[in-house]
Amino acid sequence: MRPIEKYVETMENKDFAALGNLFTDDGVLNDYCSNNSAQPEYHLYGKEAINMFFRNKFLFRRYSIADAEVVNDTQAEFIANFGGYHIMAIATVREATEDGHIVSLTVRPK
Amino acid sequence: MGVFAITGGSSGIGAKTVELLKERGHKVINIDMKDGDICVNLANPEGRNEAIDKLHEMCPDGLDGMICNAGVSGACGNLPLIISLNYFGTVTLANGVYDLLKMKHGTCVVTTSNTISQGAGRMDYVDLLNNISDERRVLNLIKEMDSSNLSDGNSLYVSTKYALARWVRRISSSWAANGVRINAVAPGNVNTAMTATMSTSAKMALNALPIPTKYGQETLMDPEEIAEVIVFLSSPAARGVNGNVMFVDGGTDALLNSEKVY
Repeated sequence: MRPIEKYVETMENKDFAALGNLFTDDGVLNDYCSNNSAQPEYHLYGKEAINMFFRNKFLFRRYSIADAEVVNDTQAEFIANFGGYHIMAIATVREATEDGHIVSLTVRPK
Repeated sequence: MGVFAITGGSSGIGAKTVELLKERGHKVINIDMKDGDICVNLANPEGRNEAIDKLHEMCPDGLDGMICNAGVSGACGNLPLIISLNYFGTVTLANGVYDLLKMKHGTCVVTTSNTISQGAGRMDYVDLLNNISDERRVLNLIKEMDSSNLSDGNSLYVSTKYALARWVRRISSSWAANGVRINAVAPGNVNTAMTATMSTSAKMALNALPIPTKYGQETLMDPEEIAEVIVFLSSPAARGVNGNVMFVDGGTDALLNSEKVY
């Protein structure tokens, strides 16, 4: 399974622990989607931060994805749902290790 | 050594703050409904006035510090109490002893909450609290809310704490110009007798507000971690700190709001 597919799977399952473990220790997730909240972007540094952040967002239903489609080796499109505010987004694995851990992933509006 | 007054000093963060201040040789006057040196109910005007009068009797030479810590959570099931104790109980008391603080160039520390940055507050209520400050009218207004609804309670709780933080910021310049520093602490979720007996689902919700310094431990903040910062802000070591809302939450706010640097 490619890293982008694992990313989509963990997001769909709302599995924050698996999502965090998908990244390297110092892996970075940059989410540039304007999300209708006080903080319009998310920039998470490190697997533990990604784990904790999405634990919060998933439990309080402030983040989910729907209708995801992997479009190539490194990218997937989906509808991102920020607590009821929907954006068509595209996630890109910009860098990954040989053993399949994500070093850098961005999510941008499509 | 100094003379400090504290509200809500009989348990939790307040009790730990009393302990730390006494360890450092200070005299502490605890204002609390139960086991206080001054036993009053700060949720009503009579209780607040009685506390202010007694502090003037007990401290004719002034106060070195006023620590406004008393408050209830959004889950208390009593919406008027959230408004009257958390906001009016704090602001009235702090204003009521301002003259005593000026006499000794003292400090004031107000306990707010790190939830103020998480967007659950009602800014219309925050504005009413800060700008109109009419307790009767606000209490009439919240009659439309459902006291059994946890979301309503939490929203009101966050509103009172947000209003407190903003009041601290607003008042800080003139107070400092008169020799009195005022700051706020914004704690994360703290281990208390109440959280120890919470339901499993309530604990799950608490743990979903992750505390980075407690990563992997499934535990909350220790009251002492907050109390140490209150004592610091009350001390001369913090003489350059004024009008600050200091998040003491192990990094929860930084995790959820990393882009907000001010």
